Amino acid sequence: MLEVQTISASYGSVRALEAVSLQVDAGGIVCLLGANGAGKSTTLNCISGVVPSARGRIRCDGRDITGWAIERIVALGIVQVPEGRELFPALSVEENLVLGTWLHRRQRNHGPEFERVYEYFPRLKERRKQAAGFLSGGEQQMLMIGRALMARPKYLLLDEPSLGLSPLLVQQLFEIIARMHRDGIAILLVEQNAKVALSVSEYGYILENGEVRLHGRAKALSEDPEVHAAYLGA
Amino acid sequence: MYGSPSYARLAPLLALVVIGIVLPPLVPQYFLSLGNTLMMYAILAVGLDLLLGWAGQFAFAHIAFYGVGVYGTVLLQSKLGIPFIPGVLIAAALAGLIAFLIAVAAIRLHSVYLALATFAFAESAQWVFNSWEGLTGGADGLRIAPPSVLGWTTGTDARAFPVIAIILALVIGATMYLTRSRLGRSLCAVRDSEHAAAVSGIDVFRTRIWAFVISGTYAGVAGGTFALFQSFVNPEAFGFSQIVLVLSMVVVGGLGTLPGPLIGAVLLGLLPEIMRTAMRGLFVWQELVYGLILILSMMFMPRGIWGLIAARGGRSK
Repeated sequence: MLEVQTISASYGSVRALEAVSLQVDAGGIVCLLGANGAGKSTTLNCISGVVPSARGRIRCDGRDITGWAIERIVALGIVQVPEGRELFPALSVEENLVLGTWLHRRQRNHGPEFERVYEYFPRLKERRKQAAGFLSGGEQQMLMIGRALMARPKYLLLDEPSLGLSPLLVQQLFEIIARMHRDGIAILLVEQNAKVALSVSEYGYILENGEVRLHGRAKALSEDPEVHAAYLGA
Repeated sequence: MYGSPSYARLAPLLALVVIGIVLPPLVPQYFLSLGNTLMMYAILAVGLDLLLGWAGQFAFAHIAFYGVGVYGTVLLQSKLGIPFIPGVLIAAALAGLIAFLIAVAAIRLHSVYLALATFAFAESAQWVFNSWEGLTGGADGLRIAPPSVLGWTTGTDARAFPVIAIILALVIGATMYLTRSRLGRSLCAVRDSEHAAAVSGIDVFRTRIWAFVISGTYAGVAGGTFALFQSFVNPEAFGFSQIVLVLSMVVVGGLGTLPGPLIGAVLLGLLPEIMRTAMRGLFVWQELVYGLILILSMMFMPRGIWGLIAARGGRSK
């Protein structure tokens, strides 16, 4: 279980998070919703260790990981897929994926990991020799998720995977996310697209100005009139 | 760029060694002297490119590590009687060690701040070379006794040429392996996105420090080759204009590629010779011409000459 307990974080004098708590069960799928600047990405960055949290604790499977180095957190099985197009454009698809195995680098053969990624994303196999910078937006998003899968995550932190993708691609991508969850990977999903996020999630948290405004079962949230008005549109 | 380089790619290195051995009796001394200089610059430029082009670290201390290599090799020989091969290895390791210390101190700095901090280090290193008269001879310089490499005395251009060719071939070969290795890929990863590299489990600080250490060691080796064909060194060889020259070689040739800095070293290394012979009166404008070439190449071929060639040939690297 991944537990975030009343963490706070700031950028300089700007407070980004105020006593945020949330929880992802092993094998669960949870979404974190909210408007721009609500603190969704900051929460993920605190968990992955990219941004230090000023107060509060973060625990994973009973261990206190607050303040751990990023690579130790990855080694524990918490792997982040950053927002946007954070990949290595000059390297080939295959090389990008190999970089995801960094923590298991003493192991010689990464065949099973490659196979698993290519099974989720057959497009990547077709393009494995191409430079990542030449992929389409959707393929780049797939590659980022694929790279994270290479590290054999127990908890996958997805930051706005739908960003900049066409509605059709978003739908396809979320089907794959649901499949990864069925295959046993716990997922914490940050999204602005609340509708599609709630449709795959079991539980949801809604952030507003750095605080958890509401949380509950995904089904209940999607039927909540307040959530409906603010995040799901008419 | 993935896996070991093929034997076909190693063939040019063999050719370089063969040329190094057969050429000296056949061509005039002037060309050998020029060849030695170009090969030394090639080692310097390849080393700087590892840090600048591959790892994306905007650092300018390279010439200082080169200075450590020159003075280290020369002084180990003259003061302690250490022969060339162990001498250059110790000097290069020392350059790598100093690069490590600089990297640890500057590791939290990025872009222009890193550039300024490392530039300040290079300037202070030159000041040390100038002021530590007991060791370096200060501004008066230091005579270099011809080193002996496994019983083969260098000191003239013709005798140094094959040795430098072999060293350059080894350096290029090592770079081929390095850039295809896991470390090579992690350098690119850190350059392209520190965030993505970190969440892939790569220790970004450690990778950046490795980049400095390896690059500094290359500069140290380049310094060692200087001692093979020059008979005199003074601190002027390690000033700002040299930093600009090696930087221009890397940028004009093509950042983050192996052929790029080699092409750049040859072209910009030849430039002063061309200006000296063809345009005597213009020699004083040398710095200005370097600056102009740097600006024009940034404007019209941001990926350098090799970037242009690779794009024409339809290859990415």
